[in-house]
Amino acid sequence: MRKELKEYPFDWMLWRAFAAAARLKAGSEKEYRQAVNQIPYFRGALDAIYGIGEPGRLLLEMVAEYFEKIIHAEKRGQKTAITTFCFSPAVFYALDIVPITLEMMTVAMGATYKRGTADFLDYCNEVGFTETSCSSQRGSLGAYLAGNGVTIDMVVCDSPGVCDTNVNAFAFASAYLDKPFFQLNMPPDLIAARSTEYHRADYRALIDFLEEQTGRKLDTAKLRRILEEVVRQDLLMAELEELQILVPNPLPVTFNLLIYAGRFLYAGMPQCTKLLESMLAIGRENAGRNQSGLSSGREKLRGFFCYIDHYGQDFRLWQLLDRMDISYHGNILSKMWSQDAHYVKAFDRQKEGYKIDTTDLDTLIDSISDLNSRMPMIKSIRGPYDAPHMWLQDTLALAKLHKADFIVYNGTPGCRNTWGMVKPFARDTEKNGFPTLILYSDAFDMRVESWETTASRIEEFLKVRRLCS
Amino acid sequence: MMKIFHESSTILFNRHVQNWKTGGGKVVGYTCSYVPDEIFYAAGILPYRLRGVGAREMNIADAYFGPFICSLPKCLLQLASEGKYHFLEGVVVTPGCDSMRRLDDCWRKAGEDITETLPSFFFHYAVPHKTADYSLKWFIEETHLLKCAVEKHFNVTITDAQLHNAIDIYNEGRLLLSRLDALRCATDVAISGADALAVVLASTTMPRKAFNSLLMDLIAQIEANTDRITGRKRLMLVGSANDDVELVRLIEGNEALIVADNLCFGARFYADLVEPEDDPVAALAKRYLFHNDCPRMFGDYKGRLSILKEKIKRAAVDGVILQNIRFCDLHGSENGIFERDLETAGIPCLRIEREYGPLVETGRIRMRIDAFLERLEK
Amino acid sequence: MITAGCDVGSLTSKAIIMNDNRIVAQELIRSQIKPAESAVAVMECALQKAGLTIQDINFCVGTGYGRDKIPFVQEAVSEITCHAMGARWLLPTVKTVIDIGGQDCKAMRIDKDGKIVKFITNDKCASGTGRFLEVMARIIGVSLDDLGGLSARAKAPITMANACTVWAQADVIQHLNDGIAAEDIGAGINNAMASRMAVLANNIGLERDLCMTGGVAKNVGVVAALEKLLGMTIKRIKKVDPQLVGAVGAALIAADKCERSAAS
Repeated sequence: MRKELKEYPFDWMLWRAFAAAARLKAGSEKEYRQAVNQIPYFRGALDAIYGIGEPGRLLLEMVAEYFEKIIHAEKRGQKTAITTFCFSPAVFYALDIVPITLEMMTVAMGATYKRGTADFLDYCNEVGFTETSCSSQRGSLGAYLAGNGVTIDMVVCDSPGVCDTNVNAFAFASAYLDKPFFQLNMPPDLIAARSTEYHRADYRALIDFLEEQTGRKLDTAKLRRILEEVVRQDLLMAELEELQILVPNPLPVTFNLLIYAGRFLYAGMPQCTKLLESMLAIGRENAGRNQSGLSSGREKLRGFFCYIDHYGQDFRLWQLLDRMDISYHGNILSKMWSQDAHYVKAFDRQKEGYKIDTTDLDTLIDSISDLNSRMPMIKSIRGPYDAPHMWLQDTLALAKLHKADFIVYNGTPGCRNTWGMVKPFARDTEKNGFPTLILYSDAFDMRVESWETTASRIEEFLKVRRLCS
Repeated sequence: MMKIFHESSTILFNRHVQNWKTGGGKVVGYTCSYVPDEIFYAAGILPYRLRGVGAREMNIADAYFGPFICSLPKCLLQLASEGKYHFLEGVVVTPGCDSMRRLDDCWRKAGEDITETLPSFFFHYAVPHKTADYSLKWFIEETHLLKCAVEKHFNVTITDAQLHNAIDIYNEGRLLLSRLDALRCATDVAISGADALAVVLASTTMPRKAFNSLLMDLIAQIEANTDRITGRKRLMLVGSANDDVELVRLIEGNEALIVADNLCFGARFYADLVEPEDDPVAALAKRYLFHNDCPRMFGDYKGRLSILKEKIKRAAVDGVILQNIRFCDLHGSENGIFERDLETAGIPCLRIEREYGPLVETGRIRMRIDAFLERLEK
Repeated sequence: MITAGCDVGSLTSKAIIMNDNRIVAQELIRSQIKPAESAVAVMECALQKAGLTIQDINFCVGTGYGRDKIPFVQEAVSEITCHAMGARWLLPTVKTVIDIGGQDCKAMRIDKDGKIVKFITNDKCASGTGRFLEVMARIIGVSLDDLGGLSARAKAPITMANACTVWAQADVIQHLNDGIAAEDIGAGINNAMASRMAVLANNIGLERDLCMTGGVAKNVGVVAALEKLLGMTIKRIKKVDPQLVGAVGAALIAADKCERSAAS
């Protein structure tokens, strides 16, 4: 690893960068412009984020605070846990554990640094991790393996049965750093009684593990407050996503990212609620005026991303979509499957959704277990793609509900579970009338395919399929 | 005598399977060492571990699988779509890993496009990725479901007595294979790694009673014979599934011997007996879930490392070959940590990445093996 | 004692003749399809230069991918061992050797006798090899010899796709179409090569001094980028063309084997 990277811990650097970014609009516009000229590789992302107004500022503050908690965890007597985006952090907050969500760290660094997380991706390979593994965890994991971040106290994930390459990163970290490890294991079915029983037994074992690691007992009142906040967030998200369905879509393209960023970082915490409320205010206002959320005000196309977004340097995907007047209609990451979600109600799929029951500790644990087993990817990638309640059914239902003009699959070459079936999947979505683009890029590593090439492939697809001229 | 084992290990529709079919027997294929053969034996069905031997092209497989996928499930799908698995009445797929898990999806889709690709019995056997009391409970139930599905589809009844008998027969085979293992890792080695692999592979395709009998004869023959192989470097083979005898032969050459392994087509297949108990399904579930495990059982690195160290000591291993199929991240990454810890313990290691399928790039592999053996020459 | 080393690679074949451990002749030619023919051709050239015949050679070691097919060698030894031995002899302080050839790349740590302590080679892929540079150079319209020099003239090196040569080609074409200067693309290519090699080298743990062998050692752009990534100076081999180090090592090993067999 280049020695200059070792001079400051990478998570500390991210904290300082986002803390500074969150204050950029405190001065005049001229001061803002002069400041961002100093950060050519983060400028575009900041312009896009600040361009949406208050939610953008809240996002930056929220991310900065997230890193601040990580940096000061040890000093405050808190344990840290590296985890994955598809594991709800609500239980960590209930036990005063500071979560470090690797994929979010990778995205944050990819958005701010010229080379993204390239050095840390490579460092993982240097210490024996396969280069064919997913880059989403690998990007920030490399820093922690190199001792270039805070001390990790434990490793927790919920992807076995859903995504091997995801859990493999955590298993590797645990073995390499010799840290306690816990995995929630998902059966291939979601709603059968034995699956629910399994989820709940597994989750209770998780709580035992976390209590053992922290020396604390799960506080019922605290968990209740957190899950009540989750319910508030679910209702806000439901309304936001109902607005997304409107023609034109009144939400700016970046809003979907903010929805899942908020939940992945702060499920059950007021920071996420505040962000969602701020976004909803803009969404309602635009909807009231029948106005598109796109900068131009003209919606030409509606795009549905069936998997994840592309987090290339400077958030250029969102800039591309906005420039081409393509409204953004969601991806797998923003769907949490609460029973209050509009897509659950619209298709009468209550069994697939979770409901929070705050009666007592048992029902709280059952609720959070159900919530967790419906997290993005955990819910729908676990079983055969064409099985009921799984990925194809969800994609088609959502794309239809949102009146999507096309579907895009974007992931990473390390995504074994989707590359194992994305071709038949795309064949099925095409058969159902949705032009479907499979991108071969890496959402987190521009060295696999440069953004320029990826962008040209998106534009080429839209032209060839006569979706745009 | 080795010819019989080699033939069974290299030909999919070998003469034992042919004879079985001629006698009216049914065959069910399965993808992973976590599937209990005993269920099928008790049902009077030949359990057959699926392999990709003979796959020459990937044109059909590549129409379903994406490019970043291990070549093992691709070979299986290719062969199935070419009709090479015509002798199967059923298949059991497990979530051994994501690539193998998606074989379920792709095989079914190929079955819709190409006639006679999908057998009438097609079962997804959901093996957990952890060993806990509730995951054992799940696995016992899952094994009951498999048993019931077999009974229903093949119109048979599998009694507890039949299962106990099946367990005895398979345990006998495991004990015999362990005896062969001891001959293989003795100071004066009695059987090469290539031959030992051929024997294990034959056990995955032949009726078990016939296999046990042949193996007993082979062991008697070896013990009676005083020919031994000496003066070679002693290697252990670890990592992704390998069912290619020629690969082992390539590694061994004239200078080395594979005296031990921790492969699922090798030692892991027969390690650990089924411990008898009243409920044979529970007994099977316990053995198969808790036995010598695979990196798919996340979080148990230390357990697997200690197994390797114990084998290295027992077999007086000079060096360890840590191989993985490209895109096999589970073995590939764990090999990385094995290398670190074994080298620290003074045990030389060589990591090799390879493809599963027709043995190609023999020059590249050979060069690495030669260099490793030269390193061991100190 | 006259010994020889013959290194038959996929792109080039090399021969070294030594007399009492002094190099008296060296030759490098483009390989032919059959390794045996390449070996004979390159050895004949070297022998001619030295004024010797094959019968004058006391012991010859063959190496490279075609080593088992060379008709006139007494023994075949892997190129990893030969490169290590050759590098140590040429630069006695070297402890780590990086070799990037036409079709593979390797990193080795060696002891004071030039014996391998640890080595690693690239996985099956062209993108960490000389082949990668060859393909890229052709696309941007420069010779392989000139590719290295582009780095020094670059103003804004691009970040290249480096995981796959085929995709990297698409990237280069995209950049050319976007009007990016050849120097910036060339620098990006060299940096991509260096970064892949750095991962490999760091895997085995580097010890000073470090040197490079193989044809890519002549690419000044890759070497400079690699020095920066590894944080270490790469000592240059000057006595022979870096592509010949394997053959040098083979000749030295031949001398050692010749002495041992004479002693026994």
